[in-house]
Amino acid sequence: MTTGADADEFERLVRPHLDRLYRLAWRLTGAEAEAEDLFQDIMVKACADLESLASVDEPGPWLSRLMYNRFVDGHRRRARRRLVVVDEGRLDSDGIAGFAADDDPLRESDSEQVAAILENALARLSEEHRIVVLLHDADGYKLTEIQELTGTPVGTLKSRLHRARARLRELLGAPDGT
Amino acid sequence: MTDDTPIDQELRALFEKLPAPRPKPGFYDRAIDAAVREREQGRVLHRSKLRWMLAGAGSAVAAGIVAVVVAGLLFDAERPRPDNAVASVHMTLDQPRTVSLVFAAGEPLENAQLTLTLPDGVEVDGFPGQRELRWETTLAAGRNRLPLTLVAVDGAGGDIVARLEHAARGRTFRLHVDVG
Repeated sequence: MTTGADADEFERLVRPHLDRLYRLAWRLTGAEAEAEDLFQDIMVKACADLESLASVDEPGPWLSRLMYNRFVDGHRRRARRRLVVVDEGRLDSDGIAGFAADDDPLRESDSEQVAAILENALARLSEEHRIVVLLHDADGYKLTEIQELTGTPVGTLKSRLHRARARLRELLGAPDGT
Repeated sequence: MTDDTPIDQELRALFEKLPAPRPKPGFYDRAIDAAVREREQGRVLHRSKLRWMLAGAGSAVAAGIVAVVVAGLLFDAERPRPDNAVASVHMTLDQPRTVSLVFAAGEPLENAQLTLTLPDGVEVDGFPGQRELRWETTLAAGRNRLPLTLVAVDGAGGDIVARLEHAARGRTFRLHVDVG
């Protein structure tokens, strides 16, 4: 049975790390609904194992590893089978009758559009490349932190980061299309 | 990394334009409360997501709808394929390719529903990992083209199934994807 003290302790331990965990969930899953599910799963798991959480020196990395392992273990597989109901306007082509000519994406000045273009390019990367470049370049993780999180050696991560950036440059430099 | 090139630095500057994902207001509090509640109850709550709709629906043939699945260039829309005909497209792994689905409607169709079911390893650009997509659309009388950028992320290929439904009527079309 949980006591009020347990609830307070749990909140005290996790609260400082919530933003970083939420961003990690987003980076891993790439979608809000899946990110929320993954985040919630981790909260439940961490709370159920409050004694372990309370015993670690650094709850942040512990929670991040818990999330990553959970993602790898099964969340990803379930998410892939979900039906997504989309807004037609989110489709790359602007939906049916989307005959508008493609513009050079990098000439777009609006930062929202630039972000959308970048996200679109990121979506074309393999998962392992997307995750490393997002964690490193967007969220400021050090390669050693990503190694700790994923168990992948720094040398491999460095190589993936290099290839991911090269692919992104290629994708962003070329007009979208066939 | 300390060996970033100027281009890498430009790329990183671009990342600064990526909005940091933020949860809905109150999400953290609700997540913590739910976790504590589940610990108290000692059980795993099976969360349902109303936002996700179940796939599948009726299968009556739409008298007013004909459709063509076209790979690459537009075929003659006046020669609709039969319901079970399978067009095909060849794709290269990780190389995006735009294919057009062409729907010819005998009359304007408001609030038609289009569902795409993708085989494992083929994705619609911008929706990584998603196997089914559904959205509402409006078709004009005559030809309507829907260009979709597809990406093959593994070599298995398979059939993309497009189902167009309007009112109680619907038709299903297939596009076979070979990856090599």
